[in-house]
Amino acid sequence: MPFPRRVALRSLFALAVTAVTGGALGRIAVRAPEARATDPYAFDEMYAGRRIRGLTGPDGEPVALVDGRPLHLMRCADGGWVTPLDHYESRPTPLAATRTAVDAAGSAPLSRYAAAHGDHTEPTGGTPRGVHA
Amino acid sequence: MVYTRKNQRDLTASERRRFVAAVLELKRRGEYDEFVRTHIDYYTADGGGRLRTAHMTPSFLPWHRRFLLEFERALRRIDGTVTVPYWDWTRDNSPASSIWAEDFMGGNGRRSDLRVTTGPFAYGGGKWTVKYAMTEVSYLTRDLGRPGDPIALPTAGQLEEVMRERTYDTAPWNSTSPSGFRNRLEGWAPGSGNDRFRIHNRVHRWVGGLMLGGGSVNDPVFWLHHSFVDLVWSRWQQRNPGAAYLPATPPPVGDAQYRKVIARHQPMQPWGVTPAEMADHSQLYRYA
Repeated sequence: MPFPRRVALRSLFALAVTAVTGGALGRIAVRAPEARATDPYAFDEMYAGRRIRGLTGPDGEPVALVDGRPLHLMRCADGGWVTPLDHYESRPTPLAATRTAVDAAGSAPLSRYAAAHGDHTEPTGGTPRGVHA
Repeated sequence: MVYTRKNQRDLTASERRRFVAAVLELKRRGEYDEFVRTHIDYYTADGGGRLRTAHMTPSFLPWHRRFLLEFERALRRIDGTVTVPYWDWTRDNSPASSIWAEDFMGGNGRRSDLRVTTGPFAYGGGKWTVKYAMTEVSYLTRDLGRPGDPIALPTAGQLEEVMRERTYDTAPWNSTSPSGFRNRLEGWAPGSGNDRFRIHNRVHRWVGGLMLGGGSVNDPVFWLHHSFVDLVWSRWQQRNPGAAYLPATPPPVGDAQYRKVIARHQPMQPWGVTPAEMADHSQLYRYA
């Protein structure tokens, strides 16, 4: 059975909030420069006082990190991206969507619910309310 | 017995008080936050491979009709006189409107962190701590009218344009459907600037704060907004008695929307009811 993406993202969240320098997330996010250069979703910048990074996730989908915490990027039919922070503005790239999410978040840290969304419609199944705290 | 949903501007002081009290009691019991969770769980965007039940999809309207009914039933178990009022944002279209009064929804967020500090749902009152949100805020936030980049609520004229649609929904049954009542009312539109945000979507953006994202149900005005969206659908149904929910049958294998949308007689989770079963509310409630 394939590894459900939401599980991967939740694990990523757990890592993100507990990782120390050199931990697993560090290895993902701070890849060798040549790997980052070929990652189409890679970005790393400061935006509105937050560090935002992009990378390719476990299923080849883009994942963003805001101050180290995962942000779920959802593809829209118009080709753009929305996030759990802002459902209504489809942005052309993962980077633009991440910036829009930061605009909506203000200075607050992302919660675990920003990392995975729409779990109940996950076709790979799983328990209802799978991400209950 | 059929009950009546009223315009929030027509509620008596007592009706306002009882609605607020029932919502606060639901929150105290922990039931309110289950509604917040359900809405988060069912948000799926339309560019992926998943089934969409609640947004960017034909069942946007019947899913929210049922969601509202479940909420209303929960309130009425607490106080049998309460119904969910509606907010006609074409009329009460300003931060100064009485819906934002201290005895009802409370006011705008403060400038520094958008925290709502007035009314029954202000964090400081001790009865409204946000549990499930996309950030680690525990307080309700709003940014009415988005003064940093102003946006106006939909007008009566804009709503009337939507009401002139004659078909419930059209392929590709998502946020890019070029016509059809559902997508026009949900409010997805191409273009740039504020023009992209129409009708239902625009109201979420106008309120701002938690109403922008997955935690929108944390703002009780969510229900008053969706009560009005449901009213608009109801009036459209009356005007177009032959225009049933579409798609009537599931998109076939090979269609890009195969297994991604709910057809007229397919069950919508988490309740297992079909769009067809949600079409007629006349035996349950009416709008005044």
